[in-house]
Amino acid sequence: MKPLLPGDPAYPPGLNDLEEPPPLYIRGRIPDGPCVAVVGTRSCTRYGVDIGESMGRQLASAGLVTVSGLARGIDAAAHRGTVTVRGHGVAILGSGLDHIYPRENIGLAQSLVEHGGAVVSEYPNGTPPDRWRFPARNRLIAAMSVAVVVVESRVTGGAQITAVLAAEMGRPVFAVPGDVDRESSAGTNRLIRDGAIPVFGGQDLLDELSVLAGVDARPVGLNGPVPAGGLDIDDLPDHWGCTIKEALVRLGRLEASGEVRRLGDRILPAIRD
Amino acid sequence: MYSSVLSVALVGGDARVVHVEAAVGRNKEGFRLSGLPDTALREAKDRVRSAITASGIEFPHREVTINLAPADLRKRGSDYDLPIALAILAADRQIADMARAVIVGELALDGKVRRGGSSLGAAVIGSRLGIPCLVSREHAAQVAVVPGSEVHAVETLSEAVSLVSSGLQAQPTVPEGGESDAPEPPDMRDIRGQSFARRALEVAAAGGHHLLLHGPPGGGKTMLARRLPGILPGLEERHAIEVALVKSNAGLGDSVSYVPPFRAPHHTATRAALVGGGSGMPTPGEISLAHCGVLFLDELAEFPRSHLDALRQPLEEGAVVISRQGSSVRFPARFQLIGATNPCPCGYWGDRRRPCTCTGPGRDRYRQRLSGPLLDRFDLAVHVKRVAADDFKGGGGEASAPVARRVASARDIQLARGAVNGDLPDSLVQELPISGTARDLLLRSLQSSAITARGVGRVRRVSQTLADLDGTDVGEEHVAEALSLRGGW
Repeated sequence: MKPLLPGDPAYPPGLNDLEEPPPLYIRGRIPDGPCVAVVGTRSCTRYGVDIGESMGRQLASAGLVTVSGLARGIDAAAHRGTVTVRGHGVAILGSGLDHIYPRENIGLAQSLVEHGGAVVSEYPNGTPPDRWRFPARNRLIAAMSVAVVVVESRVTGGAQITAVLAAEMGRPVFAVPGDVDRESSAGTNRLIRDGAIPVFGGQDLLDELSVLAGVDARPVGLNGPVPAGGLDIDDLPDHWGCTIKEALVRLGRLEASGEVRRLGDRILPAIRD
Repeated sequence: MYSSVLSVALVGGDARVVHVEAAVGRNKEGFRLSGLPDTALREAKDRVRSAITASGIEFPHREVTINLAPADLRKRGSDYDLPIALAILAADRQIADMARAVIVGELALDGKVRRGGSSLGAAVIGSRLGIPCLVSREHAAQVAVVPGSEVHAVETLSEAVSLVSSGLQAQPTVPEGGESDAPEPPDMRDIRGQSFARRALEVAAAGGHHLLLHGPPGGGKTMLARRLPGILPGLEERHAIEVALVKSNAGLGDSVSYVPPFRAPHHTATRAALVGGGSGMPTPGEISLAHCGVLFLDELAEFPRSHLDALRQPLEEGAVVISRQGSSVRFPARFQLIGATNPCPCGYWGDRRRPCTCTGPGRDRYRQRLSGPLLDRFDLAVHVKRVAADDFKGGGGEASAPVARRVASARDIQLARGAVNGDLPDSLVQELPISGTARDLLLRSLQSSAITARGVGRVRRVSQTLADLDGTDVGEEHVAEALSLRGGW
């Protein structure tokens, strides 16, 4: 496999901001359009997964390209959100393309490529996923994107590195606030204190991006039976203003017609073409 | 000289008559016992001899032979002390030949009658044969609740001798009132929030459906399951007796309760403890103790696969057959299964606050342990989320009593049809009436792969229960709700 070299017209322009833009090995095709990085911790909570997925969904639905690192947790959630709306996404690996890590996300990588996205690495085939390569990979994520959003992160971790690198390169850094007593949000909360822009969801991020990064995004429809981020089954009666019995009847109809789908106890909008 | 006394043996979920025969021969002194006795029973010889002597009665100085018939039935325990003693005295012509009565009781060396494990069985056999029974005073009042029974309480061997000699001319024991030792099952009122799970529990109760609860630890899965007996209809008399006999056979007391039993064996329980068995005479397992009630298996995925497989026959047939060399015993085991499981090994997958520390493949493996035939038995599967702090504020939910009333009326409709919906096989449930729009919705969900062909039977059963709760035929809204109550796992 031949790498894509800097200077090639297809070479992602953002990477030229790096001191030494590396050659890239690519499976699939790096989509056109502005990239936004969605990153976070591997040991995430359901809160992080929900937000990460909905970010992936909403950014991709708005025609942006989501970029992340294919790690467990938030990275995977963002990629998953992207492919559920059949949007464009790029996964940047810290290993060779034949060493997709973690292996549980091989399917996800495949879906990204199938939906017009790409899996990218600066390392040739045969490079194992060594720990020290992951921070290096993060500089590519930061450089390639017009903005970085950290969904959930501890005080230490790859997402923090990505955020700092992005800030140094002049990319706006966004962070999703979390509970102050929760370790898995301590990093994002601290980023906000240090100057990152707090965002409260995908639409909020899109609004901010159009102002800050000049990214023009198509508005996302939010008039479905459940919000884009989904709802717990137990919250349906409140949301719809009815009894639990009526809510279950309505849910059954929506599921039968494929308008919503279920993920554990979470009711999410259906995936649309 | 020969005499015979009636006693009782607990076999499976039933009591059987045992004839205690005594013969006093002409040869020199000896004491023999035959009829498949276990160790405790073989030692009856010593207790009986001492008790008779201590009561101031003479033990025959000749050859005494005891036989417990039917000879091929294994007998165990010390319940036969009293009938053996009385049979010996009758055979020795020291007392009149026995009035027809069923007798059980262990003897102390000083002639006192101790509690016997099968007093309840004696009352049941007595009422079945229309004859009185003699049991220890300790639980005479408890077993006297058996309808049609005439229970006489005795405290000592001499008392028994005089009672028998008088031809049982005494006031029978008055049954104890109420169910003093059975605690009220916990109330649904204590459950806050969890409207989804509450609804599922009500539907499970109304249709006798097996229910799978999944969700993170601390969500209240156990709390919910424990409240099921409180909304189930009370037991019919014959079922209450059957349940009590199984309990008595397991050595768990002789009280008769009309509240459906609730059993929650731990996942480290042995297979014998779960389905019944053990060495010698098989004893009932948890699934039989849960007969006519609820079997709650927490941490379902932690149970060994072989244990879960052993549940399949009882789930199918409502009974379990334990085979032993030369004989097999059938225990009733028609229970409603409530399974609870974490979503993953660490338990926090799906939780909005705690990170899950499992890997994706680890989660998949965990779920695969539950796949297959057992999972197909659960008509209902609901996610029980961890209760958020603000759910503890407002008042409690609806109490058990009104829920139980709705459940009872839905059950009445089903019993008129012959079986609860949870027990209906797929072939029968397909024949029940269903509206055209309801059928359309089923077809649509099949087409959109919201359900599989296999899931149709389950959805049909649950829709039928929902319709029974409304007192109508199955309409589109019932199918829709049934669809909502099925999934998530």
